[in-house]
Amino acid sequence: MVAFEVPEVDYTQYTNRQLAAIPLALLAVALLVLAGWYVATGAPVQLGTEFTGGTELRVQTSTPAAEIPDQFDAEASVTAVRTSADTYIVTFPPEAEDVGQQARNNLAPVAGQSASDVVQSNQETSASFGSEAQRTALLGLGIAFVGMSLLVFVLFRTFVPSLAIVISAFSDIVIPLALMNLLGIPLSLGTVAALLMLIGYSVDSDILLNNHILRRGGSFYESTHRAMRTGVTMTVTSLSAMAVMAFVAFLFQIELLTSIGIILVLGLATDLMNTYMLNLSLLRWYKFEGVAR
Amino acid sequence: MIDLRDNWRLVLLALFIFASVFALFAPGVGGGAPDAGANASAVEQGGGGPTNLQYGLELSGGTRMRAPVNGVTAEGVQIPQGTQADAVQRQVAGNLSAADLGDVNVRFTNTSTTVEAFSENVTADELGAALDAAGYEYETVRPGVTDQTRTDIVRILKDKISRAGLSGGQVQQVSTANGGDFVVIEMPNVNQSEVETLVTERGQVQVVATFPSDNQSANGTEYRRVPLLTQGDFRSVGTAQDTRGTGPHVPLTLNDEAAQEYTRAMNEYGFTSSEGIYACRRTADNPGYCLQTVVDGDVVYSADMSDGLAESLRNAAARGDSVNNFFMTTTNMSQARELQIHLQAGALPASLNMDEGTAYYLAPSLAEEFKLYSLITGLIAAVAVTVVVFLRYGDPKVAAPMLVTALSEVLILLGFAAAIRLPMDLSHIAGFIAVIGTGVDDLIIIADEVMSEGEVNSSRVFQSRFRKAFWVIGAAAATTIIAMSPLAVLSLGDLQGFAIITILGVLVGVLITRPAYGDILRSLLTDK
Repeated sequence: MVAFEVPEVDYTQYTNRQLAAIPLALLAVALLVLAGWYVATGAPVQLGTEFTGGTELRVQTSTPAAEIPDQFDAEASVTAVRTSADTYIVTFPPEAEDVGQQARNNLAPVAGQSASDVVQSNQETSASFGSEAQRTALLGLGIAFVGMSLLVFVLFRTFVPSLAIVISAFSDIVIPLALMNLLGIPLSLGTVAALLMLIGYSVDSDILLNNHILRRGGSFYESTHRAMRTGVTMTVTSLSAMAVMAFVAFLFQIELLTSIGIILVLGLATDLMNTYMLNLSLLRWYKFEGVAR
Repeated sequence: MIDLRDNWRLVLLALFIFASVFALFAPGVGGGAPDAGANASAVEQGGGGPTNLQYGLELSGGTRMRAPVNGVTAEGVQIPQGTQADAVQRQVAGNLSAADLGDVNVRFTNTSTTVEAFSENVTADELGAALDAAGYEYETVRPGVTDQTRTDIVRILKDKISRAGLSGGQVQQVSTANGGDFVVIEMPNVNQSEVETLVTERGQVQVVATFPSDNQSANGTEYRRVPLLTQGDFRSVGTAQDTRGTGPHVPLTLNDEAAQEYTRAMNEYGFTSSEGIYACRRTADNPGYCLQTVVDGDVVYSADMSDGLAESLRNAAARGDSVNNFFMTTTNMSQARELQIHLQAGALPASLNMDEGTAYYLAPSLAEEFKLYSLITGLIAAVAVTVVVFLRYGDPKVAAPMLVTALSEVLILLGFAAAIRLPMDLSHIAGFIAVIGTGVDDLIIIADEVMSEGEVNSSRVFQSRFRKAFWVIGAAAATTIIAMSPLAVLSLGDLQGFAIITILGVLVGVLITRPAYGDILRSLLTDK
C-alpha cells in the first residue's frame, strides 16, 4: 500500500542545456528583479521596520480604521488584524515619537476596557539601530553562505559537483528574495532566519544527489532515481509542514511564524527545481563529459 | 530478547528522554522551584504553567528596551603627575558648554587615563576641544562610554528595578558585531512608559535653596540658588509616605557633615528668620524662600520652611548642634516613590539614549494567546509531517518510529531548555519546527537507504547501509550547523535563540536520536 510514489523522470529526453535553461533563466529574472528594486528604492529588498527603524503598534480600539491615522502626529499606516475584532497593526516611520502615548490618549478603548489596554504591543526601533541590524544580518547571511560553500568543497573535493551545490543554494535564496519583493513580504528578522534555514534544508537534497551519483555504484540514471526518491520525499515533507505552519500562523496572526513558513515554502519549491534540473544537469555534464576530458 | 549491548543507542535515547521529562515536569527543578526568586536571569519564574519551562517576553508579555549609553570618551589622556581627578573634571566641564561638573568623569587605571562626558549633547569633537583647551593630550576620542561605566549602570539599574518591586526584571550588557555596546533591560508585565522614566533618567537628586540675596539691585530683588544636598549626603533613606501637613515626601537622615552645613546655611540664608518662614511663593519672578526638590535638573516640588523646623534649626545653631532630619517633599506619591528609588539606588552615571535603541512591549493577554497559538501551530505542523510520511511509506513499521523519534528530539530539547532555564520565545518555537523538519528529513534518508536494494536480512547488511546513510546525514548536519553558527554568536535579538535551538537540535539528532532510530528500524526489519 503506497499512496504516493515519487515519479521516475526520463532525463535522457532532455539535453543538459535544456535542463539548466529554466532554472538559470529564473535565477536571471530574480536577479533582475532585485537589481531593479535596488535602482528604484535604494535597497535590493523591501526592508521591514526592524531594519529601517520605526514603530509598530498593535492596538485594540473602537475608533474606525479610517480615522486612526488622524489620531497621531506622525504619518501612520493601518492594517486590520483578521483574527480579532477592532484590532489593528499601525506602523510609523522612525521619526515618530511617543506614538504609544498618543494611542492611549487619542484612541477610544473598546467596551469594557480602559485607555491603558488600547496598546497591546509596541515595537520601536531607531533608524541607526535598524541599519546596524541590517549590517549584522547581511554579515550573518554572508558568513553562513561562505561557510557552507567551503564545507561542501571540503566534503566532495571536486570542483564542478561542489560548484553545482553552491549555485543551487545561491539560487534557492535569491529566487525567494525576489518573490518576497513581488508578494510584498518585507525582510524582517524572521525572514532572515528562514533564508538561513533554507541554506540548511536545500543543501541536504543536493548533498544527497551528489553523494548517490559520485560515491555509489550503479548507473547514472539509477543513482539519480534513488536519490530523487529519497530527496523529493524529504523536500515534500518539509514543504507540507511549512505550508501548514504558514497557513495556521497566518490565521493566528503570528507574523514571525507566517513569514518563516512562506519563505520556506517558496524556497523548498525552488530547491526542487534547482536540485533536479540545475544541479543534475551539471552533474551529468561532469560525469559524462567533464571527467572524460 | 533484548541485548543491551546491541541496543545501547536506544538505552541512551531512553535515558535522555527520561532526564528531559524530569527536567520539564519535576517540581523543584528548573524555574518552577519556589526558591527561584533569587534567580534574576529569567523573565518569568515558571510557576504559571504545568511545566518548568521559562517564557521570554514574546510569550509572557512585558517590556524590553535596548539602548546605548549617552556619552563620549577620551582615552589615553596625559595627566601630569600629582594632578587630582576633580581638578581635571572641573577644567574639562568648564570648557564644555553642554555639560556640568557631574557629567564629567575621570578614571585612572593602571595603564591609562580616560575622561568621559555623559551629557547627550556633547560630541566627541567637543570633548577633544575641551581637553585641548585644558592642555591635556589624549590618544582618541570616541562616542560611547567605558566598560566600567556600563557595568556601574547595569548594577544601579538592577538595584532600581528590584527596589521598584519589579520581580524577574533583567538587565545586561550586550555588544554587537559592529562594535556597538548596548544595555538591555527586560521586565515582565510592566508597561513601557513606567519603565522608561525609571531607567532612561539618571535620577540625580538635589535639594536647592532659593532665596533673596543680600545685594539688591535697582530693578527688584535678586535671587540666589544654592545646591544644599545631593545623593551622597544621606545616612539613611526612609520609605515614601503621605502625611497630613507635610504631604507626600521621603524622610531622610543627613550625615553629620551635611547636617552641619544644612543647619548653618538655613540660618545664614534667612530661612529661619520671620521673613523666611512659610515664604515660598512659587512664582517665577518672586519665588521667596524655597527648598526645591530637583531631579535631573527639573524642579519637582518647592517647599516652605515651617515655623517648627525653623525653631529647632535656630536652637540647634545656638547650641552649636545640628538638625539631621530632613523631609524631601514631592507633588504626589508616585513621584515620592520614584524619588525614594533614586535616592536609594543612586544616580546613573549616564542616561540611556532611547533615540538609538529599540523598545518592545507586549500585553500579557496577547502573549498568552501567542503561547497557545504557537503550540497549536507546532502541533499541526507535526501532524502534517505525519500524514506525508504515512502516505509515502504506507508502512507503519517505518513511519511510526520516525515520528516517535522526531518528537523525542523535540522533547529532549524542551527538557534541555527547562534545565538551563532558557527563556522561550517565538523564535525558539520556529527553531523547534525547523528541528522537526531536518530531523524527519534525516530519518527518511536512513529509512530509504536501509530498505534499498532488497530485503535486510542480517545485522551486518543493515550496519553497512546505515553507515552509508550516516555520511549524508553528517554532511547535511555540518552544513546546517555552519549556516546557523554566525547567528548564534552575533547579537541579532530574536535570531540568536532560533539559531541556538536549531544547532542543539541538529546535534541531539545526529548524536542521539538518529542512531537510535537506526536501532529501532533494525530490530523491526531483521526480526522477521
